[in-house]
Amino acid sequence: MSNDQQPVVVCEAVARTFGAGPAAVVAVHGVSCRVPQNARIALTGTSGSGKSTLLHLLAGLDFPTAGTITWPAIGDRGALRPGPVAIVFQGPSLMPSLDVLENVCLPPLLAGAGEAVSLQEAEAALERLGLGRLLHALPEELSGGQAQRVAVARALVGAPQLLLADEPTGQLDHVAGALVIDALVDTADHLGAALVISTHDPEIAERLPTRWCMSDGRLLTESRDQVAVGTA
Amino acid sequence: MPAMIWLRGLLRRRPGRTLAVAAGVAASVALLASIGAFLSVSKSTMTRRAAQGVPVDWQVEGQAGSKPADLLAAVKAASGVQAALPVGFASTTGLEATTGGTTQTTGPGVVLGIPASYAATFPGEIRNLVGTPQGVLVAQQTAANLHVKPGDTITIGRAGMRAARVRVDGVVELPKADSLFQKVGAPVGSQPSAPPDNVLLLPDATWHATFDPLATTRADLVRTQIHARLDHNLPGDPSAAFSSVTGRARNLEVTLAGSGLVGNNLGAVLDAARKDALYAQVLFLFLGLPGAVLAGLLTAAVAAAGADRRRQEQAILRARGATNRRLVGLATVEAVLAATVGGIAGLAIAWLVGHAAFGSGSFGATPGAAATWIVGAAIVGFVIAVLTVAVPAWRDARHQTVAAGRAAIGRATSPRWQRWGLDIICLAASAVVYWLTGRNGYQLVLVPEGVSAISVSYWAFAGPALLWVGAGLFTWRLADLFLSRGRPIMRRILRPIAGDLSSTVASSMSRERRALGRALALVALSVIFAASTAVFNATYQQQSGVDARLTNGADVTVTESPGANVPPSFATKLASVKGVKSVEPVQHRFAYVGADLQDLYGVRTDSIVNAGRLQNAYFQGGTAKGLMKELSARPDGILVSAETAKDFQLKLGDEFRLRLVDGRTKQARSVVFHYVGQAKEFPTAPKDSFMIANSSYVAKATGSDAVGAFLIETSGSSPSTVAAGVRSVVGPNAPVTDLQTSRRVVGSSLTAVDLAGLTKVELGFALVFAGGSAALLLVLGFAERRRSFAIAGALGARRRHLGAFVWSESGYVAVGGLLAGALVGWVLSNMLIKVLTGVFDPAPAAAAVPWAYLGSLTALILAAIVIAAATVLRRIRRQALTSMRGL
Repeated sequence: MSNDQQPVVVCEAVARTFGAGPAAVVAVHGVSCRVPQNARIALTGTSGSGKSTLLHLLAGLDFPTAGTITWPAIGDRGALRPGPVAIVFQGPSLMPSLDVLENVCLPPLLAGAGEAVSLQEAEAALERLGLGRLLHALPEELSGGQAQRVAVARALVGAPQLLLADEPTGQLDHVAGALVIDALVDTADHLGAALVISTHDPEIAERLPTRWCMSDGRLLTESRDQVAVGTA
Repeated sequence: MPAMIWLRGLLRRRPGRTLAVAAGVAASVALLASIGAFLSVSKSTMTRRAAQGVPVDWQVEGQAGSKPADLLAAVKAASGVQAALPVGFASTTGLEATTGGTTQTTGPGVVLGIPASYAATFPGEIRNLVGTPQGVLVAQQTAANLHVKPGDTITIGRAGMRAARVRVDGVVELPKADSLFQKVGAPVGSQPSAPPDNVLLLPDATWHATFDPLATTRADLVRTQIHARLDHNLPGDPSAAFSSVTGRARNLEVTLAGSGLVGNNLGAVLDAARKDALYAQVLFLFLGLPGAVLAGLLTAAVAAAGADRRRQEQAILRARGATNRRLVGLATVEAVLAATVGGIAGLAIAWLVGHAAFGSGSFGATPGAAATWIVGAAIVGFVIAVLTVAVPAWRDARHQTVAAGRAAIGRATSPRWQRWGLDIICLAASAVVYWLTGRNGYQLVLVPEGVSAISVSYWAFAGPALLWVGAGLFTWRLADLFLSRGRPIMRRILRPIAGDLSSTVASSMSRERRALGRALALVALSVIFAASTAVFNATYQQQSGVDARLTNGADVTVTESPGANVPPSFATKLASVKGVKSVEPVQHRFAYVGADLQDLYGVRTDSIVNAGRLQNAYFQGGTAKGLMKELSARPDGILVSAETAKDFQLKLGDEFRLRLVDGRTKQARSVVFHYVGQAKEFPTAPKDSFMIANSSYVAKATGSDAVGAFLIETSGSSPSTVAAGVRSVVGPNAPVTDLQTSRRVVGSSLTAVDLAGLTKVELGFALVFAGGSAALLLVLGFAERRRSFAIAGALGARRRHLGAFVWSESGYVAVGGLLAGALVGWVLSNMLIKVLTGVFDPAPAAAAVPWAYLGSLTALILAAIVIAAATVLRRIRRQALTSMRGL
C-alpha cells in the first residue's frame, strides 16, 4: 500500500481507563478502527460515552491503557504535533493572553516555521475564514462562534492530515454552529485532510458521510460507505 | 447551619486556599509579636542598664534643723533601701600645695567626708587612679591643678578659720561628678552647669574634725547628705520601674515631713530610659511594620489567585438563591477561620522565635503590655484576613458580574492609583518630609549633651514610609509601562531564551502585565524591606562598635595616671605582650582656654589615623587623613571643637593661646598654637570640648613627652585576654580597659540595646518574604494559567516552548524585582540612616553594607524563582492531561 493510501490513524483493541480499583472508570473499551485519508466522520454518542477520550487518543494527546494506536500516514507519536494532527476543542481554547493573529500563529511557530512565514500563514488562514478584521482582537472580545472559527483557523495553518473537532458547536447557537462546521469541512476539503467531528447534533452528523457511534466506551459502526471500521 | 456546611466543604475540598491565607496571617502576626517579644527583652535591658549605671540611687539632703542621724534612720527604713551612708559636704575657700619648690593655689572647692565603706557600698562613684583607695583622696583634675601625688600635703582653706592640712593618700576620678554635686531638689534648669573643679575627699572622722567647728559658725557652708542604694530588682518596663522608684522617693519625703529632700538619681535615669523605650518601640515597629504590611500584601496576592474560583462558587450559590448578605457571611466565616488559625500559629511562632533569638517568649515587659501586643498582633491578622477574603467577596457580590470577573486579561485601563498618580504623590511627599527633616538637621531624637530630656519627631518616620509605598507602586507602574510600551525591546531581550517565540512571549507578558507587575513590585518591596533593614542594622552595629571604640580608645587602652610621666618608649615594652599588633602613645594634658579647662591630646600625625581608626565623621571641614596632614605641615597647628571655634570666633590660621603646665617648672605657661580645623570625636576624648595637636610640639612646649594613654591594637586575639597580659606589664597603677568590656557599658539606654536578636528575626522574615513572594507569586500565576499551557501543549508545544514562557516571566520578575529592590533599598537605607541620625552615636561616615546577607538574599530569590519555575514546568506537563479534559 502506498503512503497515499495508508490510513491516517489505526486503533487496535484500544482501551483507556481512568483511576484504579473499584473507582476505575473505563472511558474507552476495546476500540479498533482506522481513519482513512480524506475521511469525513461524525462521532456521535451520549454524554460520557467516551467521544472526547477517543478523540484525544486519536490526536495522540492521551495514551491508551491497553491496545495500540498508530498513525501510518504520518509517522510516530512525536511527529503528530504541531502540524499533521490538529484538534479543535469544545470549549474556549484560545490562549487568553494572545490576540487572534498570535493565537493562529502559534502552531507554525512551534513547528519552527519562523516568524515571518508564520504570520503570513496565519493571516491567510484567518482571511480564508472571514476573520481578517479581527486579527488583533483578544479572545475575550470575540463571540463564541468567532472564537471557534479562530480555533478552526489555527487548526488550518498547520496543514494537518488529520483534523479532529470535539463537539465544536456544543456551546454555540444553530447559525454560529453551522458556520463553524462549514469552516471545518471547507478546511478539510481545502487541505485534503481526514476530518473527525464528535457531535450530539444529528443535523451535523447527517452532513458527514460516515458516522461512528460511541456507547459506554465502545465504538459501534454506522457507516454508509464502509470507509471506516469500528468493531466492538 | 449553611455556614458550617460551607466551612466543612471548604476544609475538605479546598484546605490549601484557607491554609494559604492563614499562613499569610501567621507571618504578619508572628513578625509583630516577635517585635513585641524583642521590645519586652529590650525594655528589661534598658531598665537593667540604666539602673546599673547609677552608683548612688538617692541623695537625701537634710534641711535646716534636721539631724543627720534621724535622717539616716529614716532613709534606712524606707522601702527598697538596701544600704545608706552619710556623706559630708563642706565648702572650702581654696586648696593649696607646695611641690617641687613651687606653690599652687586653687579657687573655692568642695571637701567631702566619706565613710570607709563608701567605695564598697557605692562602686562606680569613686575610681581610684593612683595610691590607696582609702584615706585622703584628691580628684584627678584637682591633683593636676595642685601638681600633687600621694605623699604630698594639701592645705584646706576654711572661711573665717585657720587652714587645715592633710596628707594625700591617693588620686581618684569621680565619674558621676554631675549627679554627686547636684543641687538636691532644684529643677533641671537651676542645676550647676558643671561640677566643682577642686574636690577633696576625706575620711569621715577627719572631715568631722576639720569641718564640725566650721559648722558652728558657718552652717551654710557645711551640710550632710544620706546616700542610698536601692534594691535593683525593678519591674522590666522602664516606665513601671520609674513609677515604682519615684513612688518610693515621694513616700520617703512624706515620711521626712520636710526635714529632707530626695535627689532621685535612679528615677532620673529611668525617666530618660522610659522615653527611650517609647522611642525604641516606635523605631522597632517602624523597622518591622513594612514586613507585616508585606505579609498582608502577599496574603492578598494569594487570596486573589483563587478569586476566579471563588467568584464561580459565588455565582453557583447566587443561582441557588443565596443573597449578597449570605455570600459575604460565608466569606467572613472563611476569613475568621483563617485569622484564628493564622493568629494562633503566628503567636506560637513568635513565642518560639522569642525563645530562640532573645531568650524570652514574653510579649511585653508587663502583663498589660504583653496583652496589648498579643491582641494588637491578632487584630492585625484578623484585619488582613478580612481585607483579603471577606472584602473582595463583598465587592464582587455587590458590584461584579461573573462574566466581568472572569475577564482577567484584556485591554484593562490602568488601576485607579496609577491614574491618580498615587505613587508620584507618595514619592513627592516623601521627598518633602525628608527635606523638612533635613532642615532640622535630622534631629529626630533631641538629646542635647548633658540634658536628660528627649523628644521624638514621629513625623519624620513618614519620609521613609512614603518612599517605601511610593517606590513599590512606582516599580509596579514602570513594570507595567515597560511591558505595554516596551514590547520591541522585550522581544529582543527574550530572543536568547524564547527564540522564534520571543514575539509571542513578549505579547503574552504584555497582556499579563498586571499580574507580572504585581509580582515584580512585591519582590521589589521584599528586597527593599530586607536590604534597608539589613543595611540599617549593620550600620547600627558598626556605630555601636565605633562608639565603644571611641570610649575605650582602642582594642585595649592603658590610661596613665596624672604625674606618672611614662615616656613614649614604654610602647616597645607593651608591644612585646602576646597578641599585641601595634601600640600608639597619645599625650593627654589639661589646658586652659581662657577660663575653661579642656583636654588636649598630643598625637603622632603619621600614625594616629590608622592606629586610632579615625573616621572622617570625627572631623569637620576635612577628612581624618587631610586634617592630620594639615597638622603635620604646621607643627603648632591645633584642632578644636566646633563649640570652641564658635565661642572664640576662630578662623583658619588664627593664633590660639593655651595655658599649659610646664613639666619642668610645674608652672602654667602660655603656648601659641594656630587653628587648622575642627574635631568632633577622638578616641578616649570627652564628648564636649577637647583639642588635638602635634605630640612633638606639645612635648617641646611643655618640656615633657609623658604619655596619657597607649592605644593598643590586637592581632586578632580577644581584647580582654590581651588586656590581662598588658595588666601584668603595667602593674596596678595604670588602668587597662578593653573594648569588649566597654561595649557592655557605653551608650545611652537606647544605643546600648543589642539589635542582634531583632536583626536575626527581621532578616529571617525578610528572607522568607523575599523568597516566598518570588516563588509563590510565580507558582500561583502559572497555576491560574494551567489551561493556557494545556492548550499550548495540545498545539504541539514542547518543554522548551513552555519553558520560554515560564523562564521569560520568571526572569523578568526576578531581575526586575532585584534591580528595583536594590536601587530603592539603597536609597531607603541612606534615608533611614539620615533620618535616624539621632540613634547613632557617632553619626556614621557611610552606611555599612552587609554584602554577605545581601548576596544570600539575591541567591535565595534566584533559587526560589528557579525552583518555582522548574516545579511549574514539571507540573504543567504532569497536569496537561487533566487540564485538557476540561477543554
